[in-house]
Amino acid sequence: MLSPPLPDAAETRANATFDAILWALSRPGLPRALPEAGEGVLIEALLDRECQVYAGDPLLIPLIGQTGARLVDIARADHVFLGRLTDLSLLGHCAVGSDLYPDDGATVVLRASLGSGDSLRLTGPGVNGAVEVQIGGLPGGFWHRRAELLRYPMGFDLLVLDGDRIIGLPRSTSIEVL
Amino acid sequence: MTLASLTKPWAPMSYGFLDASAKRELRRKMIKAVCVPGCQMPYASREVPMARGWGTGGLQVSLTLIHPQMRVKVIDQGADDSVNAASIRRFLARVSGAPATLDTLEADLIQSRHRIPEEILREDQVLVLQVPNPEPLRSVQPNMSIARQMHGDADYGRMWLQLYEQIVRSGRVMQGASYPSMVNGRHVMTPSPIPRWDVPKLHMAQHLTILSAGREKRIFAVPPYTRVEPLVFDDVPYRVEEHGGLTCYRSGAKGFFMNEIPQGDGSSAYEVSDSEYGVKAIRTRDGEAIETGETWYKNGEMPQ
Repeated sequence: MLSPPLPDAAETRANATFDAILWALSRPGLPRALPEAGEGVLIEALLDRECQVYAGDPLLIPLIGQTGARLVDIARADHVFLGRLTDLSLLGHCAVGSDLYPDDGATVVLRASLGSGDSLRLTGPGVNGAVEVQIGGLPGGFWHRRAELLRYPMGFDLLVLDGDRIIGLPRSTSIEVL
Repeated sequence: MTLASLTKPWAPMSYGFLDASAKRELRRKMIKAVCVPGCQMPYASREVPMARGWGTGGLQVSLTLIHPQMRVKVIDQGADDSVNAASIRRFLARVSGAPATLDTLEADLIQSRHRIPEEILREDQVLVLQVPNPEPLRSVQPNMSIARQMHGDADYGRMWLQLYEQIVRSGRVMQGASYPSMVNGRHVMTPSPIPRWDVPKLHMAQHLTILSAGREKRIFAVPPYTRVEPLVFDDVPYRVEEHGGLTCYRSGAKGFFMNEIPQGDGSSAYEVSDSEYGVKAIRTRDGEAIETGETWYKNGEMPQ
């Protein structure tokens, strides 16, 4: 019998990254650890030439280019990397999908600082009762704008990065700013 | 950029059988499935060395999640030892080297055909259900484009009409398995053909459930702590199978979902459907120190 294959470093990293993403989105507000800090591991685990990507941070463009994903403008992108967001108007351009195909809504990755800044109370699927988190470093009115733009099941899903920690905020989560 | 940086070293087989691009596509769709609970997301559904309709959807999810430290349990109608479960378990071990287990408490990943184990699943466990027909509306709307529009509009009146007709015709709801359920108050999903007994286990559960239909190329999910409410009328409560009072003739376990075994004299014997739970009950009875987890049903009743 053949011996089972061993995962190489890239496979192990992508597997651990996806594990963190899946758990972060299944339990909104609870931080998970990525195998490495930064967007690089997310790009490696999720993107390939079937994807259309918007990169708000020019430093990510070479990484995205290596995956074969196409760089497009933000409205057509299925994966949006905003980096450290300064211009709130970008959020309004993210794809939200349609009632028929909610999966066309974008996956939006941005950097923020966890544990400082706005106090948020999260409720919704994946949250046992309510959970409070602090997310800082985002432009003022971000959460209000997000609530305006989502019309469940249409919407985009946020992955908030702080170093190697990640928090998932799917469109199904309601966020109250305390 | 060199040729070496664009290619990977040769390997006889991708880890976990699926190639990297298939896994990335599944990852992207699983993310969307978790973000919109109960909504069917289309995905590519690659070929695996098993016939469509034999658990290829669940298998692809398992192959994407698997890593060498992940303990895997595979069940088929509650049994760990049926042909389908044994074959899938052996295949997963062969292509990933992940250890297999029969114990629900030990498992990190549980791939199941049509049952949810009797022991309560924890937050760190993932349940993967194989789904033959992901479309709850198919019996009332065979056109899948129109059915998609109905999901978009949350137009589920015909589902209740179907249940009403069953009550008028037969005096009770005849839907035995795949009982249509409202997820997060928005999307009606089929919980895969699990018996009515198992549907309340999904409601506000601690574990993540991923449902995947390989032949139909649809994937959907129930995140932890998500409302899953079977469709009912205010005056006709949801009823599970009347197995609460039955006793397993082999293990003596009482108050769980049973397999009915017809006897020569026309009567029936019953054995507990969750085979590993039955094994645990027998070994506990024989005096072995076996750890049995908390069960969802207690004395044949699901606590509210």
